[in-house]
Amino acid sequence: MSLKIKDLPEENLFTKGHTACPGCGGAIMAKIAMKVFGKNTCAYFPANCLLVFGGTYPLNAFKVPYLHVLFENSAVCAAGIKRALNKLGKEDVNVVAFAGDGGTADIGIQALSGAAERNEDIIYICYDNEAYMNTGIQRSGSTPFGAWTTTTPVGSKIAGKERFKKDVPRIMIAHDVPYVATASISYPLDLLKKLEKVKNMKGFRYLQIFAPCPTGWRLDPSKTVEIGKLAVESGMWTLYEFENGKMTINKKPKMIPVREYLKPQGRFRHLTDEQIDILQELVKKKWERDLAMAESTH
Amino acid sequence: MYEVRFHGRGGQGAVMAAQSLADAAFIEGNYAVAFPYFGAERRGAPVLAFARVDANKIYRKTQIYKPDYVIVLDDKLIDLINVAEGLSKDGMAILNSTKKPEEIQLENEVRTATVDATTIALDVLGVPITNSVMLGAFAKATGLVKIESIEKGIMDIFGARIGERIAKKNAKAARTAYERTAIGTCKGGRIFKKEKKWLPTYKELPLGLATRAMKTDAGLVGPGSFVENKTGSWRTFKPIIDKEKCIECLFCWFYCPEGCISRTSNGLKIDYDYCKGCGICANECPANAIEMVR
Ligand SMILES: Cc1ncc(C[n+]2csc(CCOP(=O)(O)OP(=O)(O)O)c2C)c(N)n1
Ligand code: SF4
Ligand code: SF4
Ligand SMILES: [Mg+2]
Repeated sequence: MSLKIKDLPEENLFTKGHTACPGCGGAIMAKIAMKVFGKNTCAYFPANCLLVFGGTYPLNAFKVPYLHVLFENSAVCAAGIKRALNKLGKEDVNVVAFAGDGGTADIGIQALSGAAERNEDIIYICYDNEAYMNTGIQRSGSTPFGAWTTTTPVGSKIAGKERFKKDVPRIMIAHDVPYVATASISYPLDLLKKLEKVKNMKGFRYLQIFAPCPTGWRLDPSKTVEIGKLAVESGMWTLYEFENGKMTINKKPKMIPVREYLKPQGRFRHLTDEQIDILQELVKKKWERDLAMAESTH
Repeated sequence: MYEVRFHGRGGQGAVMAAQSLADAAFIEGNYAVAFPYFGAERRGAPVLAFARVDANKIYRKTQIYKPDYVIVLDDKLIDLINVAEGLSKDGMAILNSTKKPEEIQLENEVRTATVDATTIALDVLGVPITNSVMLGAFAKATGLVKIESIEKGIMDIFGARIGERIAKKNAKAARTAYERTAIGTCKGGRIFKKEKKWLPTYKELPLGLATRAMKTDAGLVGPGSFVENKTGSWRTFKPIIDKEKCIECLFCWFYCPEGCISRTSNGLKIDYDYCKGCGICANECPANAIEMVR
C-alpha cells in the first residue's frame, strides 16, 4: 500500500515558527519530507534559504540532528556521517542532504557526482526553486530559459536567461545509481511515494523536488501549489523515476501551452512571442527526449 | 541634518521608500543617503532601512540609532517592537494605523502622525504594500519635503525598479495619504520588555557547539525551538475554515507551508499565532471551504 496524505503523522519535525516567506514551496517540501523520514534522521544543509529560514542560532525548526555544511560539499559530508554511523552500529539512520538547485546544479556538483559514483548510502534531495534565492535571486544552472533574475536582467539586447535549464536528474541517471527521481510539491501522492521509496532503499538516492518560490518568481504566494501543477501539465517539469536501470514516466504531461505556465509569473513578464516559441520548442524536445529515454530502458 | 528610520517587513519595500525619500530631498537641493540594515530577513520578517538628509555633505556612515523621525510601514509592528527606540523627543513618529494619534501609545509622548496606509494601498495599488503611501504621510506630517518632490522621487526609484505604470500608481497612493494624514501627539509610558537572549559561557556550550533541545531563561533553544517565533503578525489576510463546507480532504493540512493547520476531533484548526496568511489553503481547497478575510 502506498502512503496517503491521511497516513502522515500529525507531528511536524520541521516546526512552525520558521521564517520562510509566506507561501514558500521549499517550506512545504521540508515539512512533508520530515513527516515521511521521521525522527531517525540526520539532516545536512549547505547554504540556502531552507538553512536560513529553518534555523537562526540558537533557534531551529528541525527536531532532528541538523548540521550546516559548506556549499560545495553537502553530499560528501552526508556520506562521511553515514559511514561513521555505520561504524557505530547505527545503520538504520536516514542521512539526508537538503540542497538548493544552486548548491546542486552548480556549486556542489563535484561532491555530488563523487558521492554518487561511489554509491554512498545517502539520500540527496535537491529542492528546485530555479535560482539562488537566499542571496536575492541570482541565476543558477537550474534557472529556465527566459527567466528574469538579478543576474539575467531584462534589457534591450538580452532579456532573461539565454540558456535552457540544466538537466541535473539526467546527469544523475548517467551515474547509474540505484534511484533518481523528479517530484513536485504539487503532486502529493507521487511525492509521498518517492519520499517513502528513498527512505527505504539503500545506496545513493537522488530526488529533485520542484519547489516554487513566490518571492523569486514574482508570483502571488497563494499560487505556489497551482503553478507547480501548471509546470507539470505544460511539460516544463516532468515527473519520472529511474530505478535499477529502468526509467518510468509517472505523469504524462497534457502539454498545455507553456504560455499558461508563464503568465502568472512576473519573472517571465517580459517574454516576447518569439521567446515563448523558442521555449515551447525546447519543452517539446525535452519531453520527447525524456519519453525516448524511458522507452529505451524498458 | 535629519535622520529617518523606517520599520517595515521584508517585501514591503522599506528600502525603496528610504531611497525615494533621499531622492526627493536631493531634488530639492539637499545631500541625501539611503541604506538598508542587512540581515537574513525574508519576506514578512521585520526589517529596517534608513535615510539621512542634510544641506551639507554627509560623512556619517553608521546606522541610525537616534532618529529624528521614524516611519512605520506595518501596523502590527507598533505592538511588537519599540519602534520609538532612541527617537528624539522633538522628533515624530509617522505610523500606518487606523487609530488617531491620540489613541496610540509609544515609549514616550511625541508628535505622531497616523494614516490608514494598508487600506489606501489596497484601494490604489491592489496590494498591501505601504512604502509609497507612508512617504506621502511623511511629507504632510513634517513639511520637510514637498509632496511633488516625493512623487518625483517615487517616479525615479520605483520607475527604474518596477516600471512607470506601477510607479504612477504609487505616486498617486502617496498623494492620497498626504490628504488623509492625521497629526497629533501620542501617549507615552509604554514599556517594552527587553527580549532575553541566550548567551551561554563557553563552559556551558555543548561539545562541538552542538545545541541540544533545552529550556533556558530566554526560552527554548536547539532542535524544534523555532516554535518560540510566532509568525502570525506577518499576516494581512486571515483564512477562515467553514466547517459545514469542509470535506476533510486534508489538502490544506498537507500544503500549509507553516504546518499550522492541525487535525482535531472537531475538524481542522488553524493556529493563527503562526499563520502567515499566504492563502495557499484557500486556493487549494476543492470545496471552497476556506475564505481569506482582512
Ligand atoms: C561558497 C559559497 N558561495 C556563495 C555563498 C552565498 N550563498 C549562500 S546561500 C546562496 C544561494 C543558494 O541557492 P540555492 O542553492 O539555489 O538555494 P535557495 O536559496 O535558492 O533555496 C548563496 C549564493 C556561500 N554561502 N558559499
Ligand atoms: S526566497 Fe523563495 S525559497 Fe527563499 S524563503 Fe522565500 S519563498 Fe522560500
Ligand atoms: S493562509 Fe497559508 S499559512 Fe495560513 S493556514 Fe493557510 S496555508 Fe497556512
Ligand atoms: Mg535555489
